[in-house]
Amino acid sequence: MQSIGDESRPVAALSLPSRIVICMAVSAVAVAVAVHLAMMFLHIAPENTLTKAQGSAISEYVYPEYEQNWKLFAPNPMQQNVAVQVRAELRTGDGGLRTTGWTDLTARDSRAIHHNPVPSHTEQNQLRRAWEYFGSTHNAQNVPIGVRGELSEQYIRRITVRRMEPEWSRLGRLERLQVRSVTTPVAPPHWSSEKISDKPAFRVLPWWPVTTADLPEGTESK
Amino acid sequence: MTAAPDAPRDQQDRREQEHREDRDRRVPAAREEAAPASGAAPASGVAPAAPASSPPAETRIERLVGHGFRLVTGRAMAPYQTAVVRIGFAATWLLFLLREWPHRAELYGPDSPFSLDMARQLLDGNHAFSVLPWSDGRGWFEVVYLLAVVSAALLMLGWRTRTMSVLFMLGVLSLQNRSILIGDGGDNIIHLMSMYLVLTRCGQVWSLDARRARRAAERGEGAGRDLPGVVLWAVLGLALAVAQLFGCSGLSWFGHGPFPYVGWGLALWLLWAAHGLRWVVDRRAPGEPRIVLDVLGAVLHNGALLVIMAQVCLVYATAGWLKIQGSRWQDGTAVYYPMHLDYFSPWPELSVLLGTSGLLVLLITYGTVIVQVAFPFTVFNRRLKNVLLVVMVCEHLSIAFLLGLPFFSLAMVAADLVFLPTPFLTWIGGRISELRARRTGRGGPAEPSAAEEGERAPAGT
Repeated sequence: MQSIGDESRPVAALSLPSRIVICMAVSAVAVAVAVHLAMMFLHIAPENTLTKAQGSAISEYVYPEYEQNWKLFAPNPMQQNVAVQVRAELRTGDGGLRTTGWTDLTARDSRAIHHNPVPSHTEQNQLRRAWEYFGSTHNAQNVPIGVRGELSEQYIRRITVRRMEPEWSRLGRLERLQVRSVTTPVAPPHWSSEKISDKPAFRVLPWWPVTTADLPEGTESK
Repeated sequence: MTAAPDAPRDQQDRREQEHREDRDRRVPAAREEAAPASGAAPASGVAPAAPASSPPAETRIERLVGHGFRLVTGRAMAPYQTAVVRIGFAATWLLFLLREWPHRAELYGPDSPFSLDMARQLLDGNHAFSVLPWSDGRGWFEVVYLLAVVSAALLMLGWRTRTMSVLFMLGVLSLQNRSILIGDGGDNIIHLMSMYLVLTRCGQVWSLDARRARRAAERGEGAGRDLPGVVLWAVLGLALAVAQLFGCSGLSWFGHGPFPYVGWGLALWLLWAAHGLRWVVDRRAPGEPRIVLDVLGAVLHNGALLVIMAQVCLVYATAGWLKIQGSRWQDGTAVYYPMHLDYFSPWPELSVLLGTSGLLVLLITYGTVIVQVAFPFTVFNRRLKNVLLVVMVCEHLSIAFLLGLPFFSLAMVAADLVFLPTPFLTWIGGRISELRARRTGRGGPAEPSAAEEGERAPAGT
């Protein structure tokens, strides 16, 4: 029985075809490893001469399965809390329109995370990353950039509806909803002499009509 | 257990290495012949001569290439490290899936706000692999999630490790690529490692496969029929064929796969064929064909192992070098901020407590940067590497708790484990076997120690 501890495996004693196969395999693996590591390095390296010239080849290799991002707390950690808040326009039973107050979805997430040693991705990542995605697929005027921008709007709407519909449906039928973000800087530590404005910054999106595509699957339109 | 548990580990490590080099020296013919660069040397296969007497003197480079060649073809290196990485990642993913069990349909299934149609839009664009878009039904999703759980558990235990590593990868890719906007760094590293693990022989030790092979060897049997393995192989082959016949997305032959010009369909068939070939050769053609397959497996394993180690270094290098450029990491307050973010402060009382000492925050901030930047270079110094490893594992464990990122931290710790020294791992293995033997209170000899297991486990696991 061939054992793994046996280091004196006689590659040299093998027949010529076997040795050729092994040599070819070693070369192929060496090339593959070199290419792979080079691509990984260039993918996460800052933009440089090589990545500017070969950017498309690198992305072609890396995306989608080898994508990586290790910038969670670098170059600087996030220094502000972004709260996503929503409100709705509801058609009430008597035919009137009613606008709800703002509900802070992020605050609800924080409450779920509070004193929870194993927060769920639904609480920690869903809304946070959806809002990041919205930011990266929209310009400063909140105009979507391409198809992905529209996709991200639908995603935000669907998260909102999924979370708020039980409360809103008691008050009326959901017609439109509005989303805004409130960005508050984290106060610098008390030993720091730094002064920063603690005024929250608002990003208010336009009212969005709610369509059946925004409702959870299997929900009959009312 | 060959090494005394109390002896300094580094010394043991070195001793083992010297021992290995010693053995290398005893097979000079192999070195000579194996070196592709020494092809000009007269073929001395008939009568292996001592290297010193061979007429054309080997240059240093030739010797180096020969040494490298023997190293990568000789054996699947680091059996314990790859086993512990396998166990670590499988356990992390398993625990994550079990923790999210109540939320599974919201994260990856029909209740997700990122509907399957939206996922298809993204997947059509980026060609990531997922089996979930194959059907809209809730049943299909439940089956896939359950298979992901089961394959993670079995990979952790090392039951049909080679097959399970492939199923584990398919589970990870299918779930994560379907809901690409739900993950974090922890999911990212699991994603990468699930693919690398497929190419490593991560079940050589500490696996049910290794135990089965050991028991067969004790009974004096060769490779048995292995009915479950054969059935598994046949069923999976059939499933892949059916999926391709029905034109399921993502199973192309050439393109949009794990490697340029290799589609997922081709990659999976290659893995399937390799498993089958290995089985046949083990039973019908022992001797040269089996040795060749062993060597090829070892070469692939060693390549993937190098990629895993380099990947871990890249993670720390990027994180560290980027941090150096950040003003908060420079002024020594960086660690203060994440602990005051709503999403990463499950224990505000602790954050406040830690935030009272500017000096403490400064030390942790600078320490983090130093360790991350230094780590990739310390892998060449055993002692320093081990010290930094301990520091990093401790830091990740505190991140797990303080920032509420348990699965991210577990995944990073699992990745760090690839750098653990062998004597430490065999020592741990020995302790666990001993404990288990005492617990079960079986008469007769205790379970063979981990070190022996390593020597005797089959290469094919």
